[in-house]
Amino acid sequence: MKPDLRSNRDFIAGLLFVVIGALAVALARDYPIGTTMRMGPGYFPTALGAILFLFGVYVLVRGLRSGEKVNGVWGARAIALIALSILLFGFLLDRAGMVPAIVVTFLVAAAAGREFRLKEAVLVAAVIAVFSVAVFSYGLKLPYPLLGSY
Amino acid sequence: MRQPLVYRLLALMLLAVAASAALAQAPYPVKPIRFIVGFPPGGTNDIVARLVAPKMSEILGQQVVVENRGGANTAIASEMFVRLPPDGYTILMNAPGHATNPWLIKLNYDSIHDFAFVTLIAESQNLLSVHPSFPPRSVKELIAFSKKHRGEINYGSSGIGTTVHLSAELFQYMTGVKWVHVAYKGGGPGLVALLSGEVSLYFGNVPTMIRQVRAGRLRGIAVSGPERSAAAPEFPTIQESGVPGYSVTTWYGLSAPAKTPRAIVDRLNDTVVKALNSPDVRSRLRDLGANGVGNTPEQYTAFIREEIDKWGKVIKAAGIKGD
Amino acid sequence: MEFLNHLAFGFGVAFSLQNLAYCFAGVALGTLIGVLPGVGPLVTIAMLFPITFHLPAVPAIIMLAGIFYGAQYGGSTTSILVNLPGETASAVTCIDGYQMARQGRAGPALATAALASFFAGCIGTLVIALAGPTLGEWALKFGAAEYTSLMLMALVASAVMTQGDAVKGLAMVVLGLIIGVVGVDVNSGMARYAFGIPELVDGIGFTVVAVGLFAVAEIVMNLESREPREVYTGKVTGLMPTARDIKDAAWPAVRGTVVGSCFGILPGTGPALSSFATYMLEKKLARDPSRFGRGAIEGVAAPEAANNAAAQTAFIPMLTLGIPASATMALMLAALTLQGIATGPQVMLEKPDLFWGLIASMWIGNCLLVVLNLPLVGLWVKLLTVPYRWLFPSIIVFCCIGNFSVNNNPFDVYLCALIGVLGYALVKLECEPAPLLLGYVLGPLLEENLRRALLLSRGDPTVFVTRPISGAFTIATVLIFIIMVVPTVRTRRRTA
Repeated sequence: MKPDLRSNRDFIAGLLFVVIGALAVALARDYPIGTTMRMGPGYFPTALGAILFLFGVYVLVRGLRSGEKVNGVWGARAIALIALSILLFGFLLDRAGMVPAIVVTFLVAAAAGREFRLKEAVLVAAVIAVFSVAVFSYGLKLPYPLLGSY
Repeated sequence: MRQPLVYRLLALMLLAVAASAALAQAPYPVKPIRFIVGFPPGGTNDIVARLVAPKMSEILGQQVVVENRGGANTAIASEMFVRLPPDGYTILMNAPGHATNPWLIKLNYDSIHDFAFVTLIAESQNLLSVHPSFPPRSVKELIAFSKKHRGEINYGSSGIGTTVHLSAELFQYMTGVKWVHVAYKGGGPGLVALLSGEVSLYFGNVPTMIRQVRAGRLRGIAVSGPERSAAAPEFPTIQESGVPGYSVTTWYGLSAPAKTPRAIVDRLNDTVVKALNSPDVRSRLRDLGANGVGNTPEQYTAFIREEIDKWGKVIKAAGIKGD
Repeated sequence: MEFLNHLAFGFGVAFSLQNLAYCFAGVALGTLIGVLPGVGPLVTIAMLFPITFHLPAVPAIIMLAGIFYGAQYGGSTTSILVNLPGETASAVTCIDGYQMARQGRAGPALATAALASFFAGCIGTLVIALAGPTLGEWALKFGAAEYTSLMLMALVASAVMTQGDAVKGLAMVVLGLIIGVVGVDVNSGMARYAFGIPELVDGIGFTVVAVGLFAVAEIVMNLESREPREVYTGKVTGLMPTARDIKDAAWPAVRGTVVGSCFGILPGTGPALSSFATYMLEKKLARDPSRFGRGAIEGVAAPEAANNAAAQTAFIPMLTLGIPASATMALMLAALTLQGIATGPQVMLEKPDLFWGLIASMWIGNCLLVVLNLPLVGLWVKLLTVPYRWLFPSIIVFCCIGNFSVNNNPFDVYLCALIGVLGYALVKLECEPAPLLLGYVLGPLLEENLRRALLLSRGDPTVFVTRPISGAFTIATVLIFIIMVVPTVRTRRRTA
């Protein structure tokens, strides 16, 4: 992609809609469509996918013509770390227990910030862990293992 | 010196037998037990579990904690359940979905051999109810009326694959009538549809329906189980009203992962039976329209097999396709 | 006149020490869980279920009800503070409430939300007392055709919701509709867009979408650049709404209450639809619609009033007809059943202490909630002064716990990460999240009812116009469409 297009806001937005719309239609092709008066399970998804595709084309073309830029920069590092922290939580909760999951998630998420100070983060993570255990495990009696699996 | 050796060997064997017997009697349970329910909180399944669990905790001396793992009509919970260690510290609440899922979705477990069935906890029935404006007053009248108006009568359900739906499908299968199915998302909307007359028929669970019937907002026709319901004694069963052999119940059962030791299965069975015998559990179950059962593991296993077979036939005949 | 006697009787019941205590416990707990994402009234009531066995019926239901409508109060708190909807209905409050918080006006926003909710709660209680059974009957007149035309009207009107680009806004609605399709199709039993993954068979949960689209996207937006970005203005301009604020918020709160009372009664739609609807209404009625989305107090007052009124009137179907409008209601109904109380059309006559006592306690609960929440405003505003580098990881942690707690399944957490990435991309590309949520909520209802209406009419489409209520909505839809399209056509002609 030309460097211009990579920061062309509506082009990318339109592209996103086009891709999702096309995927929606493609994935729905196995569902029986039926007729308008007797719709099958495939009717609605296909129609929606097609509409989204069309909207996407419109936005994409408009983006090419106006060339408006995306505001600011893409926070790739930030979103990657935040997403990773969330994934880690899901992975660790019933394998390592709630406390390790909270601490790890907190630290990885905190690393996505600009002003990451390790020692401080560990301390706050510990506080949050204690608070969470108090509220969720003792207060609401959610049956999650605190350390290790069940 | 051979005899002493033989005696020594015998002694060793006896010791080994005694030791394993002692181990089998090692106190169970020593930690809380997870009671997995395959539905999100709020459904009757969940409620029955939360009814029985505290009593079981009392009897066992350890906490029995209900854990919800909703999704795909118990399939998600079952899938995760069969991989758990068979140590008796996780038990699963079964529902009719267990018997219908094999025919509707692709499962990663064996519905019979991956489980050690403990007992059937309770059973409840559905009451075939109709909107007051709907003419038929008995099963026989219903069949006659339906044959005259083939494909014109709408019946509601709380979702495809639920006992509400399948009760109606079994009825059509056994009597040859043809109704039009209108599915709703859950029992609440289904009931509203019947009350407003949007659909004419509904096989709803007894306690919910009987309240409306006794208030005059709906008319009841017959119950779906093999025997009359204590909560709705004025209504005959469908079986005795002209459709011999018809029986649909909503049931709640208990199972453990497949290789759970027999001693633990028996202990769990015993616990449930004791819980069901306590007057407050029994009366609360009755309020929910359910009868406590508490049969043996063998009886329950046979029941599961029957259910799976029966629903397989109905689902195929009705042409219900899942995933 | 008779109802005054009933109310007096109800207050007598509700003012007992035991009932007051349980009311307070209920609303306090409700507020707390409303603040926590994911953990909602359903899980909490389920957990407390066995406790209700040992309580007499009246305090039990008072407490459970308190949890239910208390959660609405709590849900708005996180919407305003950190752009995280605690409940579906609070999603709309995020739009303007969060902006107000960023401008240092979190205090007035929270206070307005509490006061608007209180006002709506009082009126809602009156509505139940005066017109409960009548409204219950009216709700029964809503069939598939009526729901379809109502949803269609809401969808068409949703173009009003978008602040900026209308086309991208509509695209987001469609995207939301598609996300809503994931899962089992009610009418055919077929699992759509589930890729054979059992967790997707029941669809993508609200918490997953809300957290990913609103909270995660917003957090990453705040973190993306190298230069420090002040998330919340250090300059806090006071904890309470100004006189001007109250003047601006008054009528929206009233209108919100009316809309909420109406929608709450419909079994199935409830608080979410009412908050979206009032927002759109207020935006259309405002003298300067461009203020919406930038911290307009009407955008907080109206939806909050609506969702609280709806939360109160949602009890009508349960109390007067014995029909639970949602899983939470079903659980409360079961709790009552297990107490031996047959809730049905008879409950008003057979157990007046329960019915009127509950209504009176709902009013008391609303008072308690205001008393509880207003002083907390100061605390919440203080919370915003915590350094963002501590705040945002904490939010992520609580969101993860909340997401997991919905089904006790890590899959929901993983999915949330994915939606978070998508959400960030969309928000960065200036596509607004609120329309997506509207599509996500409406889509399944629209499709389900459309197909059902056609099934019931055996393929006859005129049913949408020939049935009176549906016909009214259809005409309204056409009118709204014309109103929206005509001005743009006119302006285009002028610029051409």
